[in-house]
Amino acid sequence: MLTVDRRTFVKASAMAAAAAAASGSNRAFALTVLNNQPEGSPLKWQKAPCRFCGTGCHVMVGTENGRVVAIQGDQKAEVNKGLLCVKGYHVGLALYGKDRLTTPMLRKNGKMVPISWEEAIETIASKIKANPKGFALYGSGQWTIGEGFAGNKFMKAGLGSNQIDGNPRLCMSSAVTGFLSTFGVDEPPGVYDDIEACDVAIMWGNNMAEMHPVLFSRLVDRRTRGEKVTIIDMTTRRTRTSDLADHVLYFKPHGDLAIANGIAHLMVKSDKYDKDFVAKHCNFRKLGPKPDEKSPPDMLGVPMTFEEFAAAVEPYTPEKVEELSGVPADKIRMLGELFMRRDIRINSFWCMGMNQHTRGTAINCIVHGIHLMSGHFGKPGDAATSLTGQPSACGTVREVGTLCHLLPGGRLVANAEHRKEAEELWNVPEGRIGAKPGYHTVEMFKRFNTPTDQGGDITTLWVQVTNPGQTLPNLNRNFRAKKDLADKFMIVSDVYPTATTELADLILPSAMWVEKNGMYGNSERRTQQWFKMVSPPGEARDDCWQLIAVSRRLMDLGMEGMKGKDGKWIFHTTDKAGKEVPIWDWAHYYDVNVDERLFEEYRPFSTKKHKNLAPYQEYVKSRGLRWPVVEQPDGSWRETRWRFSEFDDPYVAKGKGFQFYHSVSKDDKALIWFRPHEHPPEMPDNDYPFWLCTGRVLEHWHSGSMTRRIPQLHRAMPKAYVEMNKADATRLGIRNNEVVTVKSRRGEIELPVWIGGRGDPKPGEVFVPFFDEGKLINLVTLDEYDPYSKQPDYKKCAVTIVRKG
Amino acid sequence: MQTKTARFRVKVEWIWLGVLAGGCALVAATSVVGGQSQASPLTVASMPVPASPPAASAMMPGDRASQSLPWRLNNPAPNLVPESRANPAAVVDKLAARVRSMEQRATLRAYEGAPPVIPHAIADLNIQSCRACHAEGLRAGDKIAKMVSHTYLTNCTQCHVEAAGPLLGNDPLLPNSFHGFRSSGYGGTRAWAGAPPVMPHTTFMRTNCVSCHGEHGYDGWRPDHLSRTNCVQCHVPAAEFDQLAPTFGLPDVADGQSPGGAAPR
Repeated sequence: MLTVDRRTFVKASAMAAAAAAASGSNRAFALTVLNNQPEGSPLKWQKAPCRFCGTGCHVMVGTENGRVVAIQGDQKAEVNKGLLCVKGYHVGLALYGKDRLTTPMLRKNGKMVPISWEEAIETIASKIKANPKGFALYGSGQWTIGEGFAGNKFMKAGLGSNQIDGNPRLCMSSAVTGFLSTFGVDEPPGVYDDIEACDVAIMWGNNMAEMHPVLFSRLVDRRTRGEKVTIIDMTTRRTRTSDLADHVLYFKPHGDLAIANGIAHLMVKSDKYDKDFVAKHCNFRKLGPKPDEKSPPDMLGVPMTFEEFAAAVEPYTPEKVEELSGVPADKIRMLGELFMRRDIRINSFWCMGMNQHTRGTAINCIVHGIHLMSGHFGKPGDAATSLTGQPSACGTVREVGTLCHLLPGGRLVANAEHRKEAEELWNVPEGRIGAKPGYHTVEMFKRFNTPTDQGGDITTLWVQVTNPGQTLPNLNRNFRAKKDLADKFMIVSDVYPTATTELADLILPSAMWVEKNGMYGNSERRTQQWFKMVSPPGEARDDCWQLIAVSRRLMDLGMEGMKGKDGKWIFHTTDKAGKEVPIWDWAHYYDVNVDERLFEEYRPFSTKKHKNLAPYQEYVKSRGLRWPVVEQPDGSWRETRWRFSEFDDPYVAKGKGFQFYHSVSKDDKALIWFRPHEHPPEMPDNDYPFWLCTGRVLEHWHSGSMTRRIPQLHRAMPKAYVEMNKADATRLGIRNNEVVTVKSRRGEIELPVWIGGRGDPKPGEVFVPFFDEGKLINLVTLDEYDPYSKQPDYKKCAVTIVRKG
Repeated sequence: MQTKTARFRVKVEWIWLGVLAGGCALVAATSVVGGQSQASPLTVASMPVPASPPAASAMMPGDRASQSLPWRLNNPAPNLVPESRANPAAVVDKLAARVRSMEQRATLRAYEGAPPVIPHAIADLNIQSCRACHAEGLRAGDKIAKMVSHTYLTNCTQCHVEAAGPLLGNDPLLPNSFHGFRSSGYGGTRAWAGAPPVMPHTTFMRTNCVSCHGEHGYDGWRPDHLSRTNCVQCHVPAAEFDQLAPTFGLPDVADGQSPGGAAPR
């Protein structure tokens, strides 16, 4: 049997033969093979950011004969310095699952049948034309920057509709509202360099060892080099991160607000906060009154004095915090002492624990607040770092603004001036962009899943690069109800069959990752670029082309919105000679680099809020650049690592030290918020006595549609489970691996119990990962969300565990 | 020595198929008959075989260096550490041992250069326990725990996952058609027969040569001079895999060009 390809085999055989002939002995055969001379690597290596999480590692992709065959960590990349995680090393396999979608399919008489791309584009265009206001686009933090920008322009400048939102609503939006409330502008002031510079790293409900392993290695491997770094793991369950932590502080779900307020309390009480920094650079803030019974108070709040702030945090004594959070009072004191020290650098990290939280904005604000108050801000190693889950949640959704209330560059649809600027840059008539924000994610899906005559005014929904059929909370209500509604039409662009395509009426096969040109933006404001390296399978095509082709078809059908002020198509593209390139025709889509064109069109937006991006070609040369990237007198482009700090940020005026130049209070100061601890909307009771927390595992990325098709990852972590504390299992007589029912007020699923497994929850708590489409835990979760970020809380709801039989 | 006896009888038929631009493409069909009673279970045809021709100078008939090689192989260097301490069988037939090692290695890797999966159960919540065996490497019966090949990286399970997790049942695997790159073979380029071979792989994450080439390394991969410890004095990595080499310059791509070499669409 041949185990190598024929070419290789025959070549080697020839050599063996030559040698045998030369020496006349069989012994020479072995020698020849042993001493064979490789002719040099047959592989072509090119850079790309990893397809998976928001860390933004760069990989070197090895291709041969038009296929990806190997991956290396990119040693030139500052983010990962040559190291990857197991997902990154196997990212190339994500392209080659045998069930890749390769042809458009339309539901006809209840069955999915293959159709042509022409019919697919025509179907979408006619659906939109029939009811433009009832059409919504649901995008993703895995959209490339070009895709997000095209989608945003298509909706807001083309259709004049703000019914576009993205899945970062489910994962990052509380971080956004936290940054906006505190600094007046989104995204972290610090960078990953803080990981090497800090003395203390605090994990706020963040299992970094599994979720951002490369960054965690940057932290813990410092110890191997003889450096000292103290890791404090604040968590509700024991994880692999706890394993390497110096202190593991277990807190009750929702207890994080009490802990953060407890730290503020200790700083005020001992009078040891950084008075100079606070006096020069901070204002205190609280929420104002509710405008009416139904609405929450304004997110940007009202001023409060230091005395009022001191009185507000007064109740949060270490003993009171212990009662609220379960963390012993002496540990709260330890945290307070650390923040009061001037001789150390403290870096806080968080991800979904603080963001998927009905009080997500509040806890984000308080953590920024204690860093500002203590002066642990804006110096290398002193930072509050929010990590992202998706590769371009920042680069695409937050920066390009593919949310229902945003415009590119951090601008708002509700602001007339911002709309006018966007209309000018997009060259569309004044008044084209709607003033009213569209529906946020949960609302969008609720309306799509509600009969049209009962207020369900979204009738056609286009989902790209995401899997809401698995990731939305409370799926029965928010996703599956659509099934019985005849007048609802769902279009899904994806690469594999998923829980979402299951209910799709039209499926579009997409190109993924290095099958197309693309750009991503990671958690530390780093914008990254890659080129297409291999062809997509079958009929699969770029998501961006799909949007552009529909836009063109709508213009041809007479939709005036698809034209700009000059009467030309909104995606009008010309070659160097000024001749129009028909990019709506797939045969000509790669005649120009559409990704570069869209990026250059987007760039002027980025300067509006000092998020300046460099020209496309600068990203071609680099392993990403962190914005603001500012042109220097010599024509080079300089990235910025520490925003708002004079020593690094070119936008800070000389002599200021720090300047929050987008300050909410318009005085260059950041805000230190008071937000009280409050109980979550659903808590365990007699009927549903357990807390349920959901999350990820190292091997799988989000809904697993890619990683479950990679044998090495799937075999290591093949299915979902429910982690339980040994004490609870013993009390209920449950054995390891026994299948039980996890049931909430909304739904139930069956899962095997894993005691002493990957993680170890405290008594009264259970944990279920969400990667397994065969065991959808989001049938069980709660769809309550933060009133500001509209981000649902996947981390806390009440369930019961029922034994079978 | 047993290695001196013929293990394979090779019958060769030459078939010239054609000439390619830039050089001759030698294409031959070879039929191989395994040795009789003592034959290796592997036939030559099932071996992953090298991808490229020898340098012109390497095997020229009459080349003194090539003539001296069999002598060298049969007359071990004075500082030889007997491979038999690790696995006597490996000494008997180094070639077959190499082939077995290549195959064994490939079963744990999606492609050459991928972090190997873990062929045993692990303690899920104590990732430091890996060090107990893999820090120094050890042998227990016929099982080898390899010493880590790279500098100590704390979070072992970041890159290495179980080949079969504790929850793996009989559920079917979703099929994947990925074909990983495989190393061509059994040694690196030599400038002439007898010259120290260059390493046929990058040294990034493989700084500890004895992990694979030492006593607890792979059968057939141990040098005959284990007592020499400064490996890179004589052996240098091949540049093809080294990202720091100039071949990794990035393309500047203008409109209309397909940078990856793949045809667009």
